[in-house]
Amino acid sequence: MAERIAIVGVGQTHHKSKRPDVTTAEMIAESVERCLEDAGLQMKDVDHLVGGSFEVADGYHCPDKWIIPELGAVGKAGLELQNVGTTGGVLAVASFNIAATGLFDTVLCYSWQKMDEAAGAFGRGGGGANEYWTGQFPMSPITNFARRTYAYMDRSGCTEEHIAMVRVKQDQCALKNPYAQLRLGLTVEQVMSDVLLAWPIRRLHMCPTTAGAAAFIVCPEERAKKVTDKPVWVEDWFTCHQGGALTMAEDPTSSTLRHACEVVYKRQNIKNPVKEIQAWEVYEPASPAELRWMEEVGICEDYTAWKLFEQDKVGIDKEVPFNPSGGVTATNPIGATPVVRLVEAALQVRGDAGEHQIPGKIERALATGYGGQGENVIMLLRKTL
Amino acid sequence: MTAEQKKEEQPEFIQFRYPREVPYEHALGYQSKFANALKQGRIIATKCPVCGRCTIPPRIVCPFHHVKQTEWVDQGQRGRLISAFKINFPMFNSRTGELQNWENPIIAVELEGGARMDGWCAETDPSKLKTGMLLEAVWRPEEERQGRADDILHWKPIEE
Repeated sequence: MAERIAIVGVGQTHHKSKRPDVTTAEMIAESVERCLEDAGLQMKDVDHLVGGSFEVADGYHCPDKWIIPELGAVGKAGLELQNVGTTGGVLAVASFNIAATGLFDTVLCYSWQKMDEAAGAFGRGGGGANEYWTGQFPMSPITNFARRTYAYMDRSGCTEEHIAMVRVKQDQCALKNPYAQLRLGLTVEQVMSDVLLAWPIRRLHMCPTTAGAAAFIVCPEERAKKVTDKPVWVEDWFTCHQGGALTMAEDPTSSTLRHACEVVYKRQNIKNPVKEIQAWEVYEPASPAELRWMEEVGICEDYTAWKLFEQDKVGIDKEVPFNPSGGVTATNPIGATPVVRLVEAALQVRGDAGEHQIPGKIERALATGYGGQGENVIMLLRKTL
Repeated sequence: MTAEQKKEEQPEFIQFRYPREVPYEHALGYQSKFANALKQGRIIATKCPVCGRCTIPPRIVCPFHHVKQTEWVDQGQRGRLISAFKINFPMFNSRTGELQNWENPIIAVELEGGARMDGWCAETDPSKLKTGMLLEAVWRPEEERQGRADDILHWKPIEE
């Protein structure tokens, strides 16, 4: 029988476009120190580490060999993982699995990306579903979401103005989050007249390049209750990494998010997600992705999410509190981005999100990681057992 | 310049440049048959004996049913447009290894044989592209073909 587990501490850096003042390891240490402080623990209390980033975009090979000593964690159990955009998601899930064995008391998950050091790596694109085939096309997150958004608009009646409204909502949330990177005070007109990257995707629609790190500590039940009086229980988690087969072959607008949510909702007997989940931190690499993701997680019917923006129903204190932190279009340290989602979701459950706290009791929060051609990792948090 | 002035010009934090070039040669395995067909101007796909789905690039087993796909199906030379996008900034070309501008939109096509594949469209104005429109493959001269996606230069819209 697996242990019940809870997040007892979280930490993240103030995300920036450039951090020439620190090495990757020093930047990670900032988030780890904040996390330990939040949990009221010291490194000597940690008995297992899980860390990683989108390695090829960092240019470091086996970076944990270098980072573990810089964190002052030599001699502890640990492993390094990477999985492109969902890296933070697989790190989190691995940490949950390790804590749930009951073999380790205090598991520290650390994640990072320092995109200011290797921006060129992202123009190489391709890969994902099949290295031989898709690797030959000039593919990138930009083109992936241009294609998806083209197909979405073609089917739904959503216009460029609606996807600009999504971007403005994200910015309004980010303005209330001191850790967010882009806090711009945007208008719909500004978004619609921004540089066109690949129609209908404009520069402001895409996630930025970010230098940042995020960390959390997860413990089995008995230990969690000793460490904190505000444990955030990890109710369920699931990974679905078959995007290349499950999405493009079927429907260019879809991801594996729907499938992953169906599995988790069924296991937890969630019948009406929009009522039973009060906070959402869903990894949207481009602003229009948020529309499709809202449909796939079960907030509204297919191809109708843009109407919620038209009716001004999405925001921190509105009917649908989707991505109150400002989301990925405001902040995207890729390897850490799903952990940032998890950290923000945990803060919402604790009621510690500050100015971007969703009003009312947050019993459940859902965080996700996204990567490649449509892969997803689902992390469901809960306030009470 | 005095030693003191020189010291002031030193930036506080230094960045260390580390350029690397790593050439890769990946084996194509089961996909070699598909790549060889491209050299001959043919598009072929594997077919699942359970669901009947044809896949490009080909796979040994069906991704959904885990059964061997031994049947290869000719996909014809025509298909219908599923989705498209046009890039307005330079991106990497894997044939040349260089960044370049991409005049032709990148599209997904559903072929006559049922498989779906990516390609480039001859029509460069994306506003003239409509999902469902009929397209035909235009090939590179045979001596230039290498079993690559861009052996098909582009897909040309045709009147119905």
